[in-house]
Amino acid sequence: MNVSCNAVKAGVLGAVMAGCFLAASPAHADRVEKHYNVQSKPKITVRNSNGRIQVKAWTKSEVQVAWLNASGKIVVETEQAGNRIEVATRMSEDVASADDMKTDFDITVPVESELNVRTDSGNVTVESVHGDMTFDTVGANLQLSDVDGYVVVKTIDGSLVCTRCSGKLEANSISGNMQMIQPDLDSLRVQTSSGNILFDGSFLSRGIYIMKNFSGTIEVHFHSGDSFDLNATSLKGDVVNQASFKPDTHGSPHLESKFGHSLFGTMNEGHAKVELSSFSGTIKILKRD
Amino acid sequence: MQCDQFEQILIEQDEGPLPKQALAHIDDCESCRALTADLTAIHDVGLEMGGEGIVPPERVWISLRNLLEAEHIIRDPRLSPAPRSIRSGWWVAFQRPALAGSFLALILAGAGLMSYRGYEGSSSQLAFHPQFAPDQEAPPILSADSVFKQESLSVGNDSIPGLQKRDAAVTDSIRRNLGIVDNFIALCEKSVREQPDNQMAREYLYGAYEQKAELLATAMNRGTTGGLQ
Repeated sequence: MNVSCNAVKAGVLGAVMAGCFLAASPAHADRVEKHYNVQSKPKITVRNSNGRIQVKAWTKSEVQVAWLNASGKIVVETEQAGNRIEVATRMSEDVASADDMKTDFDITVPVESELNVRTDSGNVTVESVHGDMTFDTVGANLQLSDVDGYVVVKTIDGSLVCTRCSGKLEANSISGNMQMIQPDLDSLRVQTSSGNILFDGSFLSRGIYIMKNFSGTIEVHFHSGDSFDLNATSLKGDVVNQASFKPDTHGSPHLESKFGHSLFGTMNEGHAKVELSSFSGTIKILKRD
Repeated sequence: MQCDQFEQILIEQDEGPLPKQALAHIDDCESCRALTADLTAIHDVGLEMGGEGIVPPERVWISLRNLLEAEHIIRDPRLSPAPRSIRSGWWVAFQRPALAGSFLALILAGAGLMSYRGYEGSSSQLAFHPQFAPDQEAPPILSADSVFKQESLSVGNDSIPGLQKRDAAVTDSIRRNLGIVDNFIALCEKSVREQPDNQMAREYLYGAYEQKAELLATAMNRGTTGGLQ
């Protein structure tokens, strides 16, 4: 009995040690794939230096993480604690270049998942995930489509393309462009310094939309049925307007600033609030075809 | 003396001049010299701001304390048998790149807040903030910027702890964007000087400062790995 117990213990210990070894073993050029069973809404954290990160949703209660590091000089550490899954790259001593660090990830998560992604360079794409998400990048471009939740993006010169995004979006960049295509957002706060901002969609009732940049173009496409209050100011640039606004009847009247070009007004009932601000860029309020 | 030994001396140094060995090391080591200069500049700005007698909001201290506690740099005083001096705690905190960036951001936020409050106050209050006086040729607001300019000079070099040059694209990106933000700061400062009552220009200036602080913090935080931190 004791012998068999010891054998079981040794086996378990060996399995645990093997698991630990595998969880932090240097990656090879071969594709590595791991599966994690989860319940309810998992939270997935990904830390990568360089490489593509692609996140897709499926209906399984399982997270699948697959990666490929061609150089074999990157260690990928993974950890699961209940519904929390963390994936991170760590370089070995002989990493010499950005190409050595490049690790591509394909991650598949339940539709209802939270994401936390930090990467320096390489594109990040997320499709059809519903849950809160944060993205922190240096130069990585970010493409989100059909996501729903509270999304926070911080990037230095990465761009953001958000297609059919729902919920709330906060994005901050220095030189990246920001595009919101067919959004269904009820809260938007976007800021970029030299990048351009494009909002092509409808303003939801009670929604608040704040778009601000320094020198790029801010372009908003509206539909004649949209209902919003507008406050647009460019200190050194122009404001180009194709809308027929009536004076804002909500709250105190706006005083025309002696600095820059401003436009205040209400479209239809003014249900949503739209604030556009630029230092030297051009603001365009254009009618959608 | 090695760099890590020098950093250890910095950590243990409460106040006063550095030991001769450490001084000799910074004569030879550009990296440690730049680090010392940066930390001293930040430290001095902090003291200058403290000397103005303006109390930052409580939430700033709470978030700072939480940050320091999370990093195990300070502990709850009820649990600490022999608390170190506050100055020592700050100095120790500066040794960590992430925290140095956070301090920088806090100092910047404080500077912006104080300037903003100064503007919103009465004209007599404005007298305490001469940077907003229309007739000033060289507003003191530039003195804060000089600190950040010094910081940015060394970003992208090996002298910034945590920022190594293995990924040239990342380093180039940070440097390029620092240049963009510096340019914005210069344009905003020009606008504020020319139009002291232009509130929007001032807000953009503060925003640009904040962006620069965040960028520097990012530069210092980014190591060569995205590993679990």
